Amino acid sequence: MKEKNQNSTRETPENISGRIPPSIGDVKSGFVSMEGGASFSNLLSKLLRKPLSIFHELETKDVLWKIPITLILISVVSLTVFGLVVGTFSWGNQIWAAPLKIVSGLMFSALICLPSLYIFTCIGGLEARFSTVVGMLCSIVALSGLLLVGFAPVVWLFSVSSTSSVFIGFMLLALWMICVGFGFNLVFCAGKAMGMTNTGHLLVWCFIFLLVTVQMTTTLRPIVGKSESLFNFEEKKFFLQYWSEELQTVTD
Amino acid sequence: MSIAVQSFQNVISLCRGDKRFLAGWIESAQKELVSYCMSLIVLGCGAYGFTIGLRNGLEMGAYVAIKLPLIIFITLIANGLLNGLLGLVLGSGIGFRKSVQFLLIGFAIMSVILGALSPVSFFVTLNMPSSADVAGRFAWHGASLLMHTCLIAFAGITAHTQLLHYVREFADSSRAGTHTFFAWLAGNLFVGAQISWNLRPFFVSPGLNVEFLREDPFNGNFYEAVIVALKNIF
Repeated sequence: MKEKNQNSTRETPENISGRIPPSIGDVKSGFVSMEGGASFSNLLSKLLRKPLSIFHELETKDVLWKIPITLILISVVSLTVFGLVVGTFSWGNQIWAAPLKIVSGLMFSALICLPSLYIFTCIGGLEARFSTVVGMLCSIVALSGLLLVGFAPVVWLFSVSSTSSVFIGFMLLALWMICVGFGFNLVFCAGKAMGMTNTGHLLVWCFIFLLVTVQMTTTLRPIVGKSESLFNFEEKKFFLQYWSEELQTVTD
Repeated sequence: MSIAVQSFQNVISLCRGDKRFLAGWIESAQKELVSYCMSLIVLGCGAYGFTIGLRNGLEMGAYVAIKLPLIIFITLIANGLLNGLLGLVLGSGIGFRKSVQFLLIGFAIMSVILGALSPVSFFVTLNMPSSADVAGRFAWHGASLLMHTCLIAFAGITAHTQLLHYVREFADSSRAGTHTFFAWLAGNLFVGAQISWNLRPFFVSPGLNVEFLREDPFNGNFYEAVIVALKNIF
């Protein structure tokens, strides 16, 4: 309902393009109208080439939920592909359990971090729709997922060459941090392009999101390596404790 | 439905620091503002408090959900007269009623931030061993204490930074507004720390029982406890 209220006072894209041309700063940053609609392939292309145009579309047009849903679809497909490659390290049940855990874990992490992202962006002075903030979060996951697919051949190479689940685990964590770093950078650029005055809160949120996702890998363990049970919810551990114990096991 | 949407939009306007919205609100709808901010404090701090206490069971979760908003309300009541006086003496032109309104708004923003963080806090609590587990219970208790202290401090600092902008804008002079704000802050911190001591436990130290209040809630004070702790260290 809020979205409808806002829409009624919002400039339609026709009016915007007809009267006010985008500023030089907007054109340079890429915060311009998106061409080609919200199809899967076009959005995938725009996410890599002109990501800020996605947020421009979310802010100015009435395609409220189509873009976030397509971004979620991109995330699910790319994370499933990446999960399958991760699962080839152990085969067996992990070939389906690893993609399932990676997709569901990241989606759940994104869901529980969504309220704080919305409030922190508001405090930072961003006057954006809720659907735009949902789009920002979806774009972090989607872009990270796409980059992880890019790293999939490397992961496969190491998974067939190495027998150490600890090494593969650390490598996957490092790759995740690199990929999500690109996602965070995209959100900072989008925030600035849309008039965010203070990005300090967003930085704190990025740290929280990173911690939640890394902890999720420990909660849903084992994602890498063989185990008798698919989940280990009984034994609760903080990710630093878990990884230091794993490292100690290897070095002993 | 429209009331819910309007309430949500008000929260967002508050968080964004919409000064025109705040000015209109303070001048026109006094009762509505107070009840609205109180609801936000109960909901936001209550939800976050529940996730703090949950580590020690549902009963403790419910206790902390009640006590966390209570700290804010008791602090505001205890300091209400002083805050109004300070506002006038320091030349800000902000009297008793407006000082309560401003502080309620500050705490409401803090509660919104804490409420938004409560899903994350809930997830963290689910990932911590229960306080009944003997192995590493002191370490987990410390980690829980540290994490929640950091998050509450972050929410408090962010909300009060926002409040400082508001007070500067509404005071007769920016300088007087700043002085008034820091005077309120000092008074509320001083009294709030003691009230939180009286309303303990929140985190339930290992070996102690789950209860709404300790048997001796008025025995000792926060500052004595800090001095004893410092003596123990050195």
